[in-house]
Amino acid sequence: MTRSLFPAALFLAAVAGATLSRARIVALEAPRAGTKELLYLPNGKYLKAASLGQASVVADLVYLWAIQYYSDYDRADRYTYVEHVFGKVIPELDPRFVDPYWLGALILTTEAQDLDSGLRLLELGAEKNPREWIFLFLAGWECDHVKDYDRAAAYFERAARVPDAPAPLVRLVAGMRARGGNLREAIAKWEEVLADPRGDEASQAIARRQLRTLQVRADVKDLEEAIASFRERQGAMPRRLDDLVRAGFLKRLPLDPDGKAYRYDAASGTVTSDASRVLGS
Amino acid sequence: MTAIAAVALNTFREAIRDRVLYLLLAVALVVVAGSRFVAMLTVGSETKIVKDLGLAAVSIFGLLIAVFIGVSLVSKEIERRTVYTLLAQPVARWQFVAGKYAGLLLVLAANVLVVGGSVLAAVGLLGESPWGLVPAMALIFVELGVVAAFAILFSSFTNPILAAVGTFAVYVAGHLSWSFDLLKKRVTTGAGRQLCDILHAVLPNLDRLDLKADAVHGAAIPAGTFAAAAVYGLCYAAAVVVLACIVFERREFA
Repeated sequence: MTRSLFPAALFLAAVAGATLSRARIVALEAPRAGTKELLYLPNGKYLKAASLGQASVVADLVYLWAIQYYSDYDRADRYTYVEHVFGKVIPELDPRFVDPYWLGALILTTEAQDLDSGLRLLELGAEKNPREWIFLFLAGWECDHVKDYDRAAAYFERAARVPDAPAPLVRLVAGMRARGGNLREAIAKWEEVLADPRGDEASQAIARRQLRTLQVRADVKDLEEAIASFRERQGAMPRRLDDLVRAGFLKRLPLDPDGKAYRYDAASGTVTSDASRVLGS
Repeated sequence: MTAIAAVALNTFREAIRDRVLYLLLAVALVVVAGSRFVAMLTVGSETKIVKDLGLAAVSIFGLLIAVFIGVSLVSKEIERRTVYTLLAQPVARWQFVAGKYAGLLLVLAANVLVVGGSVLAAVGLLGESPWGLVPAMALIFVELGVVAAFAILFSSFTNPILAAVGTFAVYVAGHLSWSFDLLKKRVTTGAGRQLCDILHAVLPNLDRLDLKADAVHGAAIPAGTFAAAAVYGLCYAAAVVVLACIVFERREFA
């Protein structure tokens, strides 16, 4: 009896010893070393050599680890190596792995508020994957987010030039040009959308509506600038819009998209049009 | 030819009775099934991770099968002295070695079909066409054929432990053969540079048989590239098997 119980008792004692010592190890565990563990992450090219033909799966594992690592918001100094992990280690293992570029950029721009580093990561993604428009598209939205509309338009323009990019990207270029105040450039882009034979009916309807609105905005802007110049030089508001042409501030008076003359309030110097209020095609 | 087929079938039957094979196959299938759960930890790229892990399972577990079963195929027969009975039959020594190699290839083909088939099914269940992975799997099989040829070669003149070490060493060197080019740029003496050239030419360039990344990213694999890689691997493996036959022919049994 004693002989048969001995192995069982030995087994239980060993299990209890392992359990207790493990609990002790956890209790003695040093406070988290912050980003120090990242110092031991090897460079991508060395990892690739060590992967012996399994670089793609090692890239997946580093990416999965990085997601868990950066999901911990308590880490001090958590943004120091984002660009290194997402822009060097993973791309060196698998440059065609699309998601790490944009996820790293998202962490940098949204959480770290570091637009330039985020854009650098997206640019790298676009460079390594010239047939992917998504990086330039996301870069455009990041610039839009900080109200840098010209830069956003430039990114959307590059995205639209990528082969097989969705046709509506040109609409974003036009939209950003309008938001940035470059109304004439926006009009030129919308005319491009309208003239595109591949455009569907919805795109054409949007283009027509935008052209109508932008035409009014651009004309009103030109007219009000001419009125301001007239007032500065003559010391009084023009009594009628015709005065602007006669005084040489405008070559001719524009008509609104309905072919009607713009209304002018000489007291306030403002120009309006009914066409700007029309919605729908 | 009949003798080779008989040895091959016998080797295949013997291998499928080996518990190591089933253990490796079971772990490979668990990896493929588990890839769906691993993919849940990611942000995007779920299908890519399933494909990567699946192809890695086909490749790594195939390598383990090629090494652990391959290295003992010839030496076990010598150790158990069953080789004497076999060679007393109308079977030439080279036919014995070629048959052993063909049997090992059948085992590896079964591994690629079972594990690879489950990878294709897993990718298909995610709603994506899995057929782009087939060329990569075919070249994994060719690569395993090269490794198996080395396992048979080493097995024909040394014990299983040394044969396993040698086969793994060739596998590692085969995936690092590009480093000889790198080394050549740093070596100034003529002899060193020539040695780099020789090693680069002689060792199998296994990276040339790796189309996994192209297949996973859906890149078009030119038929010429695929065919050239397959022919390179098959010719290389054939050369190593011929070498193994020569070594075994010359071997004297005590």
